Amino acid sequence: MDTYEWLLVFHVTGAFLMLGGGVVAATLNLTAARRNRRPSEVVLLFGLIRIAVVALTIGALLAFIFGLWLVHEAPFGYSYGDGWVIAAILLLILSVVMGSIGGRRDGETARFAKALAEQEDSPSEELLRRVRDPAALALSYGSGLLLIAILALMMWKPGA
Amino acid sequence: MLAALRPDSFDLPLFLHVLGATLLFGSTATVAIAGYASRRTPDNSALLARVVAGTWVLVILPSFILMRAGAAWIVDKEFPGNASEPGWVGVGFIVSEPGALLLIAVGILAWVSVRKKRVLLAVPILASIYLLALAVAWFAMAGKP
Repeated sequence: MDTYEWLLVFHVTGAFLMLGGGVVAATLNLTAARRNRRPSEVVLLFGLIRIAVVALTIGALLAFIFGLWLVHEAPFGYSYGDGWVIAAILLLILSVVMGSIGGRRDGETARFAKALAEQEDSPSEELLRRVRDPAALALSYGSGLLLIAILALMMWKPGA
Repeated sequence: MLAALRPDSFDLPLFLHVLGATLLFGSTATVAIAGYASRRTPDNSALLARVVAGTWVLVILPSFILMRAGAAWIVDKEFPGNASEPGWVGVGFIVSEPGALLLIAVGILAWVSVRKKRVLLAVPILASIYLLALAVAWFAMAGKP
């Protein structure tokens, strides 16, 4: 294997960690959003999402760093000025920003759930409203959809 | 960066294959995480058993089908008829076909876990083995050693 192929392995590993982490977070988030969840269950599920956030963060760094390096190293005449490269970088930054803001709102919801669980661990309409907060959901799921759009860009490379 | 001088007609099957593989990786990781977590939080083991079984039915199964169908489609395009396939394609088949048996075992044990209201230890262990197999597959697909 030459340098290009090693870089590709790390770049693809980053993509798997990002998209895989997104699936973990989405699955656990959907589970938490079911009616009649006890606060302690929401605390547990949101706590497990933190593992996905670690994977997402490492994946984003790997995909970004090795992706940029690949543009330089690939023997196909790619350039940092290519539209698909610029679009991928912008979408990745937007995805990270949206995911971070959505994650911060979920963090506040997790703290609220923890406080409820310590008082009376029974389902709460207010907690359900916060778990189903449309802004947080739009930010988090929008962030995931952008990652799929980046994957599509990597396949089709429009303009390359 | 996954594409390198390949015909445009390969793009869609490759996209579906990689999308399926990443979803499969994430859903298998969900099963492993929920399975190990249930050992540490016995109070919530019934909930986590339902997470494991629900994830298997709603995400693992469809994403495996997407990954495998995309793989078959692109292999058919890239190596039509009796054209010999390189070793890295063989690695993919080794992971996906015996891997399917592993996933079926995970699914059966996930169903048993729901009945028992606790996740059986074999579930996260088998899921972790499958995660490693997927990592070997993406190493082979990307690096083409």
